[in-house]
Amino acid sequence: MRSRGFGGFAAGALVAGAVLWSFATTDVDLSRLLSAGPRIADFLGRMVPPDPTVMNEILKGSAETLRIAILGSLGAVLLSVPLGILASETMVSPVLYRPVRTLLAFIRAIPLILVAMLMVGAVGLGPLPGIIAVAFHATGMLAKFYAEAIDGVSRAPIAALESAGAGPLARLRYAIWPQMAPVVARDTIFRFELNLRESLILGIVGAGGIGFYIQTYVRSFQYDKAASMTLAVIAMVIAIEAINVALRRRFA
Amino acid sequence: MSAAAQIGDLSFVHQGAGLPALDHVSLMVPAGESTALLGPSGAGKTTLLALLDGRLRGWRGRVSVLGAPLDPDHPPPRAGRPEVGFIFQEFALVERSSVLRNVLNGRLGRMSPVRAALGSPLPRDLEVARAALADCGIADLAERRVDSLSGGQRQRVAIARCLAQEPRLILADEPVSNLDPARAAEILTLLTGAARARGATVLFSSHQPDLARRFADRIVGMRDGRIAFDVAVGDLSDVATADLYRETTALPAIGLRAVT
Repeated sequence: MRSRGFGGFAAGALVAGAVLWSFATTDVDLSRLLSAGPRIADFLGRMVPPDPTVMNEILKGSAETLRIAILGSLGAVLLSVPLGILASETMVSPVLYRPVRTLLAFIRAIPLILVAMLMVGAVGLGPLPGIIAVAFHATGMLAKFYAEAIDGVSRAPIAALESAGAGPLARLRYAIWPQMAPVVARDTIFRFELNLRESLILGIVGAGGIGFYIQTYVRSFQYDKAASMTLAVIAMVIAIEAINVALRRRFA
Repeated sequence: MSAAAQIGDLSFVHQGAGLPALDHVSLMVPAGESTALLGPSGAGKTTLLALLDGRLRGWRGRVSVLGAPLDPDHPPPRAGRPEVGFIFQEFALVERSSVLRNVLNGRLGRMSPVRAALGSPLPRDLEVARAALADCGIADLAERRVDSLSGGQRQRVAIARCLAQEPRLILADEPVSNLDPARAAEILTLLTGAARARGATVLFSSHQPDLARRFADRIVGMRDGRIAFDVAVGDLSDVATADLYRETTALPAIGLRAVT
């Protein structure tokens, strides 16, 4: 009990220290903080009413975001099939799957927006860096999911087919794949939803899609147009969520 | 009398286990008959059956199945594997596939590798599969998914898959331990009957003496990885059977000593 009391005290002191450190080292001027309220209100005021004339840009931007998500997801699936097999405990030796898993964890640790920035630097503005970034970033998660789907398969039917004299390809097709298929479908749809959601803002770093317009309008002080675009993003996120809920119900 | 399986001085220790699962076992399984492996849990019945199916490595002794010697260090050649059929205790079916697909899976070893991977069964494969379904009384379930079936129905699918393999030796590991007594008798009638009609040898394990007595021509008693007796069904004595299931005294004795 004593050590637990000490632990609680230590945790409290740590949190208090972190808050004090943040205040002391960040320039949180009281007058600036007080004037921030009216400024934000003014900023929001300039966003109303949203300018509806950007409908064309909304459609163009949304379509491009959708294309980035679709092609990025396709790239991720194509990369995740071989990497998923190489990251599987039951398919390859530890010498192989351990470093592959480390690589995938490393990929997952890099935020998408950072990958997108690097890709814009490498291949220039537009949807292409967005697609590459999504494919790269999503592979970190999807290949891990595929590996888990492979390893989650029940071994008994595979042994039964082997006992019947079925070769490795026939075992893969008739014992392993039928067990994996629903898991792979569910994980791929889940990752596509994340890709679509995350690629909405990729345009902010110049990697194409609807975010590109938002960034352009904000920088040119056309807040009413930026507001329309933002509302479109919110609508898309809600739509994705609704479709996802419906799909999950079907898989349950 | 010719032998479907011949075992000489066979010993096997599971990886990491201290005691041998099989301890100097010698046994002849006569061809064309039905033999029961009788014994309590842990007697080595499952190990012996899996070994005869060519699934275990690193044993010592001499084993030949259907006239071909098994290699303790290498899996048996794939071409010969359909000759030995195996019925698993937990069915080992592909739950999300149809009954017919599962039974056709038993044909995969009889198809060329290309045909097996492409999944285009020949008319003959379909014919054999349908006949196996009919023999097991589940022709009407062909299109159903396995995960919608009862335990008894699943066991019939597992037997149909094994029959579709056209095996000359059928190994069955506790084929009825998951079923109620009426269902168990039905399944064993079906299994031994279908095997007899095809001239195939059956070696099944069971921990129930009455079922072994009813459905086997020969009964082999196993305990602690050794053969306790090997007799024709008429010669099975109640004393020998009771001795097979006598309580182990070693464990409680150790426990008592630890307390005092």
